[in-house]
Amino acid sequence: MSAYGSGYAIDIPRLPVGAMFESVINWLRNNLAALFDIIGDVIDSSVAALSGFLTDPSAAQLTLIACLVIAIGLIRRGQLRLVGVLVAAYLALVLLEALTGAVTVVISSLPGALFIWAMNLFGAAYVYPPLVLVLLLLAALLVTSAVRTASRHQWILAAGVTGAWLLLLIGVYIVGVQFELFAVLIFASLAWFIAGWRLAVFTVLGFLLVISMERWAEAMSTLALVLVATGVAVVFAIPIGVIAAYSDRVSMLLKPVLDFMQTMPAFVYLIPAIAFFGVGQVPGVIATVVFAMPPGVRLTELGIRQVDKELVEAGEAFGAPDIQVLRGIQLPLALATIMAGINQVIMLSLSMVVIAGMVGAGGLGNVVYSGIARADIVLGFEGGIAVVIVAIFLDRLTAAVPRFSPAARAKRMALG
Amino acid sequence: MPAVRADKLYKVFGKRADQAVELLSDGRPRDQLRELNVTAAVIDVSFEVDAGEIFVVMGLSGSGKSTLIRMLNGLLEPTAGTVEINGTDITTLPSNELRRLRSRHISMVFQHFALFPHRTVLDNAAYGLEVRGVPRAERREKARYALDLVGLEGWEDHVPEQLSGGMKQRVGLARALTADTEIILMDEAFSALDPLIRRDMQSQLLQLQARLGKTIVFITHDLNEAMRLGDRICMLRDGRVAQIGTAEEILNAPANEYVAQFIEDVDRSRVLRASSVMEPPTAVLGPAHDPRAALRTMRDNQTSSAFVVGSDQTFVGVVRDGAIGEAGRTGATDLTGLVDPGVERVHPDTTVAELFHRSAVTPHPLPVVDDAGHLVGVIPWTALLAALASGDGAGSGISAGSPPARAEAGAGATQRPVESEEGAR
Ligand SMILES: Nc1ncnc2c1ncn2[C@@H]1O[C@H](COP(=O)(O)OP(=O)(O)O)[C@@H](O)[C@H]1O
Ligand SMILES: [Mg+2]
Repeated sequence: MSAYGSGYAIDIPRLPVGAMFESVINWLRNNLAALFDIIGDVIDSSVAALSGFLTDPSAAQLTLIACLVIAIGLIRRGQLRLVGVLVAAYLALVLLEALTGAVTVVISSLPGALFIWAMNLFGAAYVYPPLVLVLLLLAALLVTSAVRTASRHQWILAAGVTGAWLLLLIGVYIVGVQFELFAVLIFASLAWFIAGWRLAVFTVLGFLLVISMERWAEAMSTLALVLVATGVAVVFAIPIGVIAAYSDRVSMLLKPVLDFMQTMPAFVYLIPAIAFFGVGQVPGVIATVVFAMPPGVRLTELGIRQVDKELVEAGEAFGAPDIQVLRGIQLPLALATIMAGINQVIMLSLSMVVIAGMVGAGGLGNVVYSGIARADIVLGFEGGIAVVIVAIFLDRLTAAVPRFSPAARAKRMALG
Repeated sequence: MPAVRADKLYKVFGKRADQAVELLSDGRPRDQLRELNVTAAVIDVSFEVDAGEIFVVMGLSGSGKSTLIRMLNGLLEPTAGTVEINGTDITTLPSNELRRLRSRHISMVFQHFALFPHRTVLDNAAYGLEVRGVPRAERREKARYALDLVGLEGWEDHVPEQLSGGMKQRVGLARALTADTEIILMDEAFSALDPLIRRDMQSQLLQLQARLGKTIVFITHDLNEAMRLGDRICMLRDGRVAQIGTAEEILNAPANEYVAQFIEDVDRSRVLRASSVMEPPTAVLGPAHDPRAALRTMRDNQTSSAFVVGSDQTFVGVVRDGAIGEAGRTGATDLTGLVDPGVERVHPDTTVAELFHRSAVTPHPLPVVDDAGHLVGVIPWTALLAALASGDGAGSGISAGSPPARAEAGAGATQRPVESEEGAR
């Protein structure tokens, strides 16, 4: 009853906004359960695989990474076709092995002496066929580097990567050093290559601090969650941004939707996400994707719209189809802006980590949340510091990526 | 078959464009379309461009030039009318065929160069062939050749930002040349350049054109540039054609007040050519002429020299009264030994600017001799001055190709025929 009198209050009907939302959610859950299960499984297994790889990779995975680096070097030196053939052959063999076990048969038919020494050296109980296959790929790439390119850089790259890979295997499997320390070195060299020595130094010190706080596994789990969420967000954000850049109408419709996504308190996403996927990493990733995607869309649209109209027209005037204009002119020239968007997506994802920890997403979020729940200052603060270290590492790293775009390279050339 | 043909082209921007076209085709001026809320950029434009011709579209800013040129390669769809390229109506082509047409037959050079900043000069030049799917090695070789043509050898591996404005536009030109299309559209290609560099680029374009014989549609807002480059010029005013013709036709017979005003500040000395200021030769003699009769002819024409032509008007040289006077004493019976064959002669295409200093060192009118060696006219000093005295007198000359026999009206080689002075009005 109003304090100012009675009888004249205007009756405003109660609109069941929340209830309507809930019924939509229920309907979706009842009718599309299978779809959500699939999405949930895919996200769950990718986060688990990535986080497993970051904390405790297998020898085959490490070899694959070495192959990747060498292959990128080869592709940049114009060997795309050959690398494609090798990778295709490798994938075919992997598929063959998975379906028929043919590789296992071949391996067991070979003389045992070929493998015994290595099994003894690494203390392995049996020969693992995928490792054999990826070793073959590595050998093929090394031969290609030596034979097909006259570039000294490629030789140095191949030799360096192979040497580092051997050291890593020996260090981890023979000497028995923990993988964390090598991981710090790998992250630091990535930081050095992409952003320079300052970030490399920061990476070494920061990640060693994380190890010493005994939060390495959680940090890697958080990193995996952020990377998967960012990956999903980017996969949606860039095409949507491109469409919005091409169509004023889509852009107009999108604007309020993006505003809504970004201003809705992030906690709210957790409720339907749990309804769909239960507790765990998946609702964390989903809520993070929804919350973090908008800047990716916005900056992609902005970046493409900013490209000089005359350049797009030049592409069209020489008969380039839209897709070629997009790929060859608009995306490369918008790359710096798009990367700024991705950088923001990553930062927003990290800010969601703690919130996601509330629904059992694990990782550093869980640590911080436990700290809050138990009023444990030590736990909360250390978890927070680890989040900050991961955040700075990712931020500086992604901020430096546009340096590698063709546009930035051209600008550097122009400066002399 | 013309290389490019525009027929009753209209481009109106806005929702009610078709309605606007109807009103415009009834002659309504474009500023009276406000109630339709449309912009009429191009109105009822028709022209034909022959293969190998430089066709210049000239007009002030906002007169619809860019809109017009973009309809020629299908970047903009006309509201009404048709565009034909090599006889094919492109306004009805599906978009993939249109793209094919652009990549094979029409390339373009842009006002602000529109070079791709993230590609090297070489890869910029090779772009057209890349779109067409030509293998890398081949397209790079062709791009290198085109860059050599425009004088940029050695710059292949630089990026556009490292180049000056003039060099950038040469890359733009090389990109169009590499695409190896027979038609090149140039939208204010030189307008963003400094005046001196602009002149260089114009000269270079003319030299290249003499070698390559492309069909060029060139857009400019600079009448001097239009007159210098254009085989023919189309003057646009507020989206409509004001006049189409050669530079000299426009100078000598502006179609309306607007064009007349426009050509007031043209540097006529660089546009007008010998053929349009020359006069019919008087005092023309054959080599077999009697020296004393020759002397009499000169006196009748109030000159001190006469032009000697052989059979079918082949120019032989000049004979002066002094030489004949001496000959009288030695007893020559014809002019053969008296002719000075080494006198300065000029081609019908020589510009008036050049005629000036040639004329200054020649005591008699300059003989104009065509490629076949025929004497087609003469240019006395006074004709040069009159040609530059703008408007009213400029049409006095005989046109190129008309026979020099049209001479009766001339009172003398140094006096201008009265009859044609009136004809120019
Ligand atoms: N896309 C467009 N939408 C609306 N009006 C346009 C558009 N493009 C050009 N115009 C208008 O058409 C007229 C002619 O423009 P334009 O062809 O660019 O002239 P010019 O190249 O001769 O300067 C101008 O009034 C311009 O504002
Ligand atoms: Mg223009």
